[in-house]
Amino acid sequence: MTVEMVSGFAVATDLAYDLDGHMWILVLDSGHVRIGMDALGLETSGTLSQLSFRSGIEVVRGESFGSLEAEKFVGPLISPLSGRIVAINEAAMADPGLVERDPYGEGWLIEVEPSNLVTETAQLVGDRELIVDGFREKVRQYKLEGVIAE
Amino acid sequence: MSNGALRVIDFGPVSPLQSQTLWHAIAHGVSAGSPPTLAFMQPDAPYVSIGFHRRLDEIDGTYCRAAGLPIYRRMVGGGPVYLDDGQIFFQIILPLAMAPPVRSQAVRTLLAPAVDAFQAVGIDASIEPAGDVVVGDKKICGHGAGQIENAVVVVGNLITRFDHTAAARIVAAPDEESRAEFEALMRRYVTPTPAAATAFAAAATMAYATRLGLQPVDGQLSALETEKLAEIDEDFVDDDWVRGSERAPTGVWQVKVKAGVFLITARAGGSSVRVSIGAGRILRVSLSDRGLNGATKGTEKSLIGMSVSEASATLTRFGFGGDRLAGLLQTIEQAVRA
Repeated sequence: MTVEMVSGFAVATDLAYDLDGHMWILVLDSGHVRIGMDALGLETSGTLSQLSFRSGIEVVRGESFGSLEAEKFVGPLISPLSGRIVAINEAAMADPGLVERDPYGEGWLIEVEPSNLVTETAQLVGDRELIVDGFREKVRQYKLEGVIAE
Repeated sequence: MSNGALRVIDFGPVSPLQSQTLWHAIAHGVSAGSPPTLAFMQPDAPYVSIGFHRRLDEIDGTYCRAAGLPIYRRMVGGGPVYLDDGQIFFQIILPLAMAPPVRSQAVRTLLAPAVDAFQAVGIDASIEPAGDVVVGDKKICGHGAGQIENAVVVVGNLITRFDHTAAARIVAAPDEESRAEFEALMRRYVTPTPAAATAFAAAATMAYATRLGLQPVDGQLSALETEKLAEIDEDFVDDDWVRGSERAPTGVWQVKVKAGVFLITARAGGSSVRVSIGAGRILRVSLSDRGLNGATKGTEKSLIGMSVSEASATLTRFGFGGDRLAGLLQTIEQAVRA
């Protein structure tokens, strides 16, 4: 995995991203897809205190596959892909700090058996240059809005 | 569409169940097109509420049943709390598109008008960096937040009277010393701010309307919300809902008094550590291990003011018993999550 620093945030540039939803995907050798949160999304969520995932369900791109709690805010985790959830990261549920410490590795969230991979992956950002530019723009936007410190 | 209106509904005294279900029903309504809404209500009897993700066994269910305290699980964050008619609840409920898109920002932004309201009724309130509404270093307002369908809800309360003993009694403490310490910490860090409920509601209405750029309009539940309320009234007393999702125990007992202030107890193999933490430093600590050989009190005193990791490193130097206690402190350090 190639991790670069972009505007102060670690970004694994060989993954594909839903930049607005701050989710990444990694297609595994099995054909299943691993999904996690990116470092910028974690920064803007605040300290994660709880995570829960809906195991065994069919999830639709743009809909919730679980929930997170940070700063007493409970919000949905939005899937960047459709498919059936085949694995959840129990270690991340037990220790949400794992997601913050290693968002692109041990801190993954779920794995799905995708139902529409080609079409939906085309809607994600997978090109290194576009990923870097996209993160840079997001950081700039969040700084302008005062969401993250200068 | 809101048409620039802030619907204001003051329900007054309601049952414990509906002090939770009313605003969940409104959230579904706002998600479906009802206007942004500010609601007020006051439970007419005491009860216990637990946050969406938390384990039900954090509450002393046996005590609550004996005391006639119902338990309801809410769809916003935070831990188990004791609620009664000394607390006036307010909820601001907005369509998702109107709320700041970033979670950490949304809570702070949507609590800011509440702080204006506290100030308007003479309470010198502010928001701490960690997000609690305080006077000085004392928390004066419980809060929680969440996204329900396509609505964002931030809830809070004006605490006119707070029963610290009852609040400590409802948690499933591992022993009575831990419960007493929890109560002592709450007495130190949580305080009521007596103010007239009507004046606070009027000030909050003005503050939310002004900050959101909306016109306050008295309102009532829509037909959809009334229908949803009946459903949620049933759902919230369902045992499966109250039980919540399966979650593994963390291995420690932990309660949060306010942001940054925790009481944590960890036990293993005949050793135990109970530690009160404030702003990352040990406020009080109680150690138990046969290897300390009468040095317990002095050791406890030496750890006050240290971070948990510093205390753990210090205890390691005490040899075998210290190692065991240091291990428990490492477990505690991992467990402390805001």
